[in-house]
Amino acid sequence: MAGLRIEHLYKRYENDGKKKNAVKNDYAVKDLNLVADQGEFIALLGPSGCGKTTTLRMTAGLEDITKGEIYIGDTLVNNLHPKDRHIGLAFEDYAMYPPLTVYDNIAFNLKAKGVDKAEIDKRVREIAPLMQCDDLLDKMPVKLSGGQKQRVNIARAIIRRPELLLMDEPLSHLDGKARQAMRTEIKRLINDIKCTTIYVTHDQLEAMSLADKIAIINFGVLQQYGTPAEVYDDPVNEFVASFIGEPPMNIIETTIIGEGDHFLFTFANSNLKIAVPERYNNVVSNGFKCKMGVRPMDVLIGGADSKGTPEEVATFENLGDERRIGIHVGSSLLMLITDDETRYKAGDIIKLEVRGEKTHLFDIETGNRIRA
Amino acid sequence: MNTASNRLSRVIQNGLLAIYAIFALFPLIWMIILSFKSDAQMYNTTFIFTPTLANYKAVLFESDYLTYMLDSLIVSGGAVVVSVVAGVPAAYALARYNFKKKEDIAFQILSFKFAPEILVVLPLFMIYQKLHIYDTYFGLIWVYQLISMPLLIWVVRGYFEDISVEIEYAAQVDGYNWYQIFFKNLIPLIKPGLVSAALLAFIFAWNSFTFPLMLGGTNIQPITVAITKFLGTDSAHYGQLAVASAISALPAIIFALCIQKHLVRGLSFGAVKG
Amino acid sequence: MSRIQLENVTKKFGSVTALKNVSLDIKDKEFFVLFGPAGAGKTTILNCIAGIQLPEEGVVKFDGEIVNLVDAAHRDTAMVFENYALYPQMTVYDNMASPLRSKLYKKDEDYIKTKIQEVAAMMKMENLLERLPSQLSNGQKQRVAMGRALVRSPRVYLMDEPLAHLDAKLRNAMRTELKEIQANFGTTSIYVTHDFMEAMSLGDRIAIINEGEVIQIGTGDEIYYMPCNEFVAQLMGDPEINLISGTLAKSEDGYTFTMEGAQKTYELPKEKELFAKLGELGLSKVDIGMRPQNLLYSFEPKEGYIKCSVYSYESIGNKSVIVAETSGLQLRMIAPNGLSVKIDQDIYVDMQLDHAMFFDAGTKGYLTRYNEAAVRAIAAEQEG
Repeated sequence: MAGLRIEHLYKRYENDGKKKNAVKNDYAVKDLNLVADQGEFIALLGPSGCGKTTTLRMTAGLEDITKGEIYIGDTLVNNLHPKDRHIGLAFEDYAMYPPLTVYDNIAFNLKAKGVDKAEIDKRVREIAPLMQCDDLLDKMPVKLSGGQKQRVNIARAIIRRPELLLMDEPLSHLDGKARQAMRTEIKRLINDIKCTTIYVTHDQLEAMSLADKIAIINFGVLQQYGTPAEVYDDPVNEFVASFIGEPPMNIIETTIIGEGDHFLFTFANSNLKIAVPERYNNVVSNGFKCKMGVRPMDVLIGGADSKGTPEEVATFENLGDERRIGIHVGSSLLMLITDDETRYKAGDIIKLEVRGEKTHLFDIETGNRIRA
Repeated sequence: MNTASNRLSRVIQNGLLAIYAIFALFPLIWMIILSFKSDAQMYNTTFIFTPTLANYKAVLFESDYLTYMLDSLIVSGGAVVVSVVAGVPAAYALARYNFKKKEDIAFQILSFKFAPEILVVLPLFMIYQKLHIYDTYFGLIWVYQLISMPLLIWVVRGYFEDISVEIEYAAQVDGYNWYQIFFKNLIPLIKPGLVSAALLAFIFAWNSFTFPLMLGGTNIQPITVAITKFLGTDSAHYGQLAVASAISALPAIIFALCIQKHLVRGLSFGAVKG
Repeated sequence: MSRIQLENVTKKFGSVTALKNVSLDIKDKEFFVLFGPAGAGKTTILNCIAGIQLPEEGVVKFDGEIVNLVDAAHRDTAMVFENYALYPQMTVYDNMASPLRSKLYKKDEDYIKTKIQEVAAMMKMENLLERLPSQLSNGQKQRVAMGRALVRSPRVYLMDEPLAHLDAKLRNAMRTELKEIQANFGTTSIYVTHDFMEAMSLGDRIAIINEGEVIQIGTGDEIYYMPCNEFVAQLMGDPEINLISGTLAKSEDGYTFTMEGAQKTYELPKEKELFAKLGELGLSKVDIGMRPQNLLYSFEPKEGYIKCSVYSYESIGNKSVIVAETSGLQLRMIAPNGLSVKIDQDIYVDMQLDHAMFFDAGTKGYLTRYNEAAVRAIAAEQEG
């Protein structure tokens, strides 16, 4: 049984006739297909304005669907009122009822449904410790910190025992450590209550940390849908590759040359040469132009007897936990991360080795991954 | 189906707006119509009549109307100038500095506007008599700025508060002294607010009636007071009255049109942020 | 060319003391970082140096000369503000030209033009010069704010959290860029931040500020490897250092450490200097500081490893953090991205104790660490 199924979903906002030459395919969401299994935690990830919140709002029933179908469980919900969709909502702005105590805020929805008092009390007392807000129950919302408000907000969303929990950037108002701590709490909570969850965020770290599967969306179009490991190690295009990971994947234009029976990546204005993995032998040719992508962790500093290309250090950053080195490759800066304890400085020469098998090829025009 | 219902609702919206516009503009339109009617046709015609410029001739050339107009300009303009010169620094001080009773003072300034004019005008009248500033430009400007200053200070203060203090620090570090910073960096930023506040202050001052009625005499008669002259004890020249009113509304309209850009931005911006 | 000194500077705002007896000696051409949590007083120090605020007590010296009574305009500093403080009514070009057009630092327009173009090229913002600040993204505003300072050749550059309002990714990229152009500064620079990566990456030396006081001054390595107390140890590093309370006891030919709670006893790896120091101190209650990368984990039971359960497994970008829990103690450690780890599953953890730091459990002050001599040597070299 699917927790959530979205089929060929489209959203188009009516422009009120002002933009006469508005482009035909002016879709906020375009042909989106997504299946979340029961109990899965799905992150909708993308830059602001990519359509991820619109998708969430359509799922919640707060926004009309232009075309397509949304199923929660096995029920088609296109024409159901939000209150009948069995969903819990936790949004970015906490939107609590200020004159009510935390207890009443959490209980509000159940009261509105006419659940009897004893049952409400039981459920609130059940949920509160989960969200670590048992000692907040008698407080008024104005007295709470951002993190506490967000806890109450989530408690309020899950007390209805929804079939589907929808969260829209619930952590974006929190900073630094509070955010990190709250992230862990959400993860553990969802693990406990085993509720299918859709989580909208623009922060790839949140998505990577929380989600079972990540749907990466750009310009209303689903780019890739997969586990964190899949989107990290096997991105379908340049956008996904550079959006996931920090520092982002190094992506540099390259011309491939043939040398004997193997091929090499070469770069304009740089003497750097990297072996092309053999599996690409039948898709590349001498003079083939594309973009090469490699994660900073997969660029290494060779030892004294290394056959790597000698390169000049452009930037050296000692960050304590790790060290980052930037090297000019033409006009791009190739970043590498190392645990090596040596303290380099700009101008030092290091031997650069790249884990060739970890390189990815991207089409220059479309940005799509070129696969072997 | 969707678009059809949209169109219908748009038609209804616009229709309602049009009806309201006619309702709101009606007195103005009526006044313009009256100004072209002769006394003879005043009461027995509505929209169909023989237009005449006689009223205009009478008001503009056969009375001291232009003198009154000038009085109004001097007094209202003077009050606005005084308000700007004294009010902008006051607003800056209220926005930037911390001093004892700051909010009390700010409120005190605003409270000038609370008292009904009719209430304060009698004591003012007696003070003015004693100080011999009754029926002088100085006296009237002084009392007019009571109307314009609080408005200006409160609007402009909001604008100063919206400018982050770091901008001033940045300019200091850049090597500018306070006066240069004030005129080069701050004034341009508060300009929309300043202009709209000054315009509103001008209109309020221009429309003021009680103060000039009591504190002005035969020497100085702003237009609001002078218009009453067209209502004689035995006859009412409604046509001339209409002409005088119509023309007296002109300056405010002209100013408003000239600075419309600032006005819209200034009022809306100030409203949200202030 | 400037040495900046603060001597016993105290600054109060009403009844709140923002700075307590702050003394700093910043060398000529040094890139000096003021690092600490929000509200620590870092910006106030910067404002006192810029002349925007006047300290109640103490003196500020530029090249040995007391400047307390010199106003901000005449101190010849260039400042980058946290909120950028761009002049909204001026184009980027005019913003950058502003300091060079003031009476004090007046330059002719030709010079201004060349200089702005030079800085714009360095900051990669040539295409922004005609825009207004309202038409810029945060990252671009940040560049302009920086550019406005860099067009000048002041006695000192003051930078107040210039990257704070950028999102994590852009912040890291900008930091690297800043590191690259840093070499061109050639001028004393003071940089305020609450991000330890910026502090570590950019600072020749770092001063840790907390609650208006200077806690520690040293190079990045010095502070990272020999933090003067647990507070500093926790500030430096993401994920945070593991602090493990326990008891030291003398054994046959060395020391043992017994973890509180988990009740496991470790034989401390032998190091003559360390044992001598521990003997000298004679403390029994200590906290051990272990950086997350010095913890080992295994999903299979292993000799000497303590059994824990996974509390969380989260990505921090290019790698992930596992938090393991055992009897109330949470241990953070580094793992690669993309492992299939289930919450609450078993995990076995060991500590590489030869990287341990020792803190006094009572005062939370630094006692000693393994390899202290080597760390001191690195620090001495960097200072020199």
